[in-house]
Amino acid sequence: DPGDKRGVWFLFSVLCACCLADVARGDGKTLVLLDNPNIKDTHSMFFRSLADRGFDLTFKTADDPSLSLIKYGQFLYDHLIIFSPSVEDFGGNINVETITAFIDGGGNVLVAASSDIGDPLRELGSECGIEFDEEKTAVIDHHNYDVSDPGEHTLIVADPENLLKAPTIVGKPTDKPILFKGVGMVADPENPLVLDILTGSSTSYSFFPDQPIKQYPHAVGKNTLLIAGLQARNNARVVFSGSLHFFSDAFFNAPVQKALPGSKRYEQPGNRDLAEALSRWVFKEAGVLRVGAVAHHPVGESTPPAAYTITDLVEYSIVIEMLSEGRWVPFDGDDIQLEFVRIDPFVRTYLKKNGGKYSIQFKLPDVYGVFQFKVDYNRLGYTHLYSSTQVSVRPLQHTQYERFIPSAYPYYASVFSMMAGLFVFSVVFLHMKEKEKSD
Amino acid sequence: VASRLVLGAHALTPSHHLAASDVARLEAVLSQSFTDLQSAYYSIVGLNKLGVSVADTDEACRFLQSNVDPTSIASLFYAAEASQSLSGCEIPVSNETRDFLLAAVSEDSTISQIHNSVSTLSSLGLPLASQEVVSALTSRITKEDNVYAITLALQTAAHLSQQADLSGILEEIEDLAARLDDLGGVYLQFEEGLEATALFVTAAYALSDHVDMEPPLKEDQVIQLVNSIFSKKSWDSLSEAFSVACAAAALSNNRFHVPVIVSALGPATVSHRQPLLQLQVTNVLCDPLTSASVVVESASSVTTKITLFFFYSSGIFELNFMNSQPASGYYQFAVAVTGDSRLVANHIELKVKVSTEVVISNMDLSVVDKDQSIGTKTTRVDYPSKAKNSFVADSHQNFAMSFQLVDVNTGVELTPHQTFVRLHNQKTGQEVVFVAEPDSKNLYKFELDTAERKSEFDSISGTYALYLIVGDATLENPILWNVADVVLKFLDEEAPATVQTKTLYVPKPEIKHLFREPEKRPPTVVSNTFTALVLSPFLLLLILWIKLGANISNFSFSPSCILFHVGHAAMLGLMYVYWTHLNMFQTLKYLAILGSFTFLAGNRMLAQKAVKRIAAEQSSRLAKYRSLR
Repeated sequence: DPGDKRGVWFLFSVLCACCLADVARGDGKTLVLLDNPNIKDTHSMFFRSLADRGFDLTFKTADDPSLSLIKYGQFLYDHLIIFSPSVEDFGGNINVETITAFIDGGGNVLVAASSDIGDPLRELGSECGIEFDEEKTAVIDHHNYDVSDPGEHTLIVADPENLLKAPTIVGKPTDKPILFKGVGMVADPENPLVLDILTGSSTSYSFFPDQPIKQYPHAVGKNTLLIAGLQARNNARVVFSGSLHFFSDAFFNAPVQKALPGSKRYEQPGNRDLAEALSRWVFKEAGVLRVGAVAHHPVGESTPPAAYTITDLVEYSIVIEMLSEGRWVPFDGDDIQLEFVRIDPFVRTYLKKNGGKYSIQFKLPDVYGVFQFKVDYNRLGYTHLYSSTQVSVRPLQHTQYERFIPSAYPYYASVFSMMAGLFVFSVVFLHMKEKEKSD
Repeated sequence: VASRLVLGAHALTPSHHLAASDVARLEAVLSQSFTDLQSAYYSIVGLNKLGVSVADTDEACRFLQSNVDPTSIASLFYAAEASQSLSGCEIPVSNETRDFLLAAVSEDSTISQIHNSVSTLSSLGLPLASQEVVSALTSRITKEDNVYAITLALQTAAHLSQQADLSGILEEIEDLAARLDDLGGVYLQFEEGLEATALFVTAAYALSDHVDMEPPLKEDQVIQLVNSIFSKKSWDSLSEAFSVACAAAALSNNRFHVPVIVSALGPATVSHRQPLLQLQVTNVLCDPLTSASVVVESASSVTTKITLFFFYSSGIFELNFMNSQPASGYYQFAVAVTGDSRLVANHIELKVKVSTEVVISNMDLSVVDKDQSIGTKTTRVDYPSKAKNSFVADSHQNFAMSFQLVDVNTGVELTPHQTFVRLHNQKTGQEVVFVAEPDSKNLYKFELDTAERKSEFDSISGTYALYLIVGDATLENPILWNVADVVLKFLDEEAPATVQTKTLYVPKPEIKHLFREPEKRPPTVVSNTFTALVLSPFLLLLILWIKLGANISNFSFSPSCILFHVGHAAMLGLMYVYWTHLNMFQTLKYLAILGSFTFLAGNRMLAQKAVKRIAAEQSSRLAKYRSLR
């Protein structure tokens, strides 16, 4: 029954609108898993900034037997924060598989590890293309450690130059260095979705601080990932930090200065700004795009025809919006491309910003078939934006061909002279007055 | 094993305390301007606990006097307690108020009310019946069995006369302590949160001091409480900051337990340049414990056990550890702080680092032929200069490097943690790092087999900058030395196929559709010539007709005649329009209209013609006939 179907569609669209509104408010139910409740106090500034931004935080210890992420096939939370590096077994019915299923279902996860990293987090990392180093190892950098380092050169001052060049993920460029103390990671080279958000310097490496290096370290130089991210193909976002201390009040407030002589002292490290930017990104407050109205029509008309004809001049426009401070505002980008695709793209061109929308006029190719207008915008830090509209393009009608080809003038001339002849002959034949023969 | 476990448990030391900067921030939080009596109480009393007084005492006193409401117990309590902390500030109380406060001490009031009125009466120096208060509290405790209420009861009891029977309430300390949650053996706190824990500690020590009985808290529990109260460094509310300040004051000044915080001034590192190990010994509020003395009971890692004394000077305990000439590395110090029986956590394990400086010597570089190892020329490079010539190694050669790392101070060979060789291709930004390993004589040798290692370089030939990275936690001078440039030549150079890995997020190249080129046409001269030829018969026809005397003299201007020819012309015209604009269906439609119309007109015209011709024929026949006659 079509009415029913329409009802279902209506319900679906209402649900969608609800989801969007939900995201738009920038909040969401968030489960925070902790090693012990005290982490709530030692990391209170980070949690307060989340709560101030409207997140509904539920704190649980990671081995709480009542833990549950999915109930009756529904996700109980939108976001998950795992601040329990040393957990050996999650409580309740949370395990690596459910967390992976949560990500597959579009949930966002923020994971902080430390040198006490347990197996579940290492497994979760492997699932996401990130390999953590072993337990008890730490990222060491004898050239870039903080003056307050307790002695093993594991309190690292990471240069902001080693941050990923993506302001939506890491926030505005800053010169404040970042304090880090924790375990190192490397990215799986086979996984193109892993983002190197913060890498170590060339002199850093990851190893057991108290054992001589007998084997090649897990991570060396710029391969050492301090913070890594991932945006899955379903736009679920995951951030792994090798350091839980990175988010702590102590690291948010500590003055920072490299131990090497002549280093500049900063009253505050960049941790607070970076942690906030990262949490904005990972919990979908930043870098979220959506497609609005899509329109296309021949130039000079206002509605699309049933089918375009080859080499028509066509105008295509699309509205793209970005989530900002909980509201949808027009997105400002200069590298949005439109493709006109029949299996392979025939035309790929940049869209121009035109008021609140992006538009372009172009000539359709001289090939007919079923085509798609396709906007496939995949940029660092933004959700994957995809819009495709199918149209058919047909060949010229017989009246649309060239009528008078110079080479064929003799044919036209013969036809028209024939017609003129016929007319003149008929007039003369009918109205000629013969002279009297008899004269 | 058991004894070791016990030892391990005893090694629990406070991992959190208030550093000087934290105390300053706590002060700043408490120094907010007052909005109401309660915030004034938190600020004034909290600051007093930290040993600081309010900026403007008179102003604060006036605020209290003007805002106090003599009909509210809470208001009286805040004002009375706060005025106690201000010198020379008195809150005038009438007899009615006193009676009102005394009346509140009954079994019908809540513990909070009892606490407030007892505290107020006691701070105002008014008499109160202690035994009555005790009995009221005891009966209320059974009704209000929560941490906050019992903590207030403890606080209340601290104001009562020592003659009263406080043993019942004293037992509550132990009961509450049993309710504390142990988090991982490091933290001890109430479920209710930081504030409840801090207030409990304050009340427990206030009461214990009052009755002069040691509170039933073990040394480890005290340390765990310290950890959980001072782990939070950013306070959400004024009351939370107040509770932390009160707990800090209670823990740094009571008759039984004073936790000791021993921290190294700067990193716990000694070296030849900085031979003094400096320790700060403070209470939780970061005030130096001047009466203490600090003894190193053992310094292990070296086998010798020695007893070393720290010397006290201006708030800092100092020890010249370098006098005992230790080798570089880590030393486990067992430090004891003595001098006061109240000290808690006064046996501390301290990791002390003895650092030194390194120098690179005998750096030899060479390119060795794989087939014949003779005839190689080694080049010596001195730190920190760079080799003048670059080294070229192809796939039949090895690049070799050997060096020694020597302690500047003792001349001993060192094997630092990090001895890496980094090859950096400036063009592609690629870096490849190898670990250099020492042989049995601590001589570092590094060989780069160009053929074997080509996969690590992605077989990209080019100039690589060779760096030596030397670092160790016990080295004061980490080394990053650009030793030389090395040109590597790989045999089968593949196209750099792996470069396009990160192109996922960049715009794709633009595509412009290439329209089909129109075919080349023959020259128009030919077609024009033939057009003329094709048109010539028509012209010829006209010329010959004129010569023959063709005419249209019979043309009659009757409507049917004109209409027929117009219709005929229109049909021919329609053929043209069909060719240029119309499709067949449109054409047939127009043709039907034009055709039927022309047909009728033509029919009529021919009929007229026929009539005319017959008439003419008849008349001519008649004329012929007449002429014949």
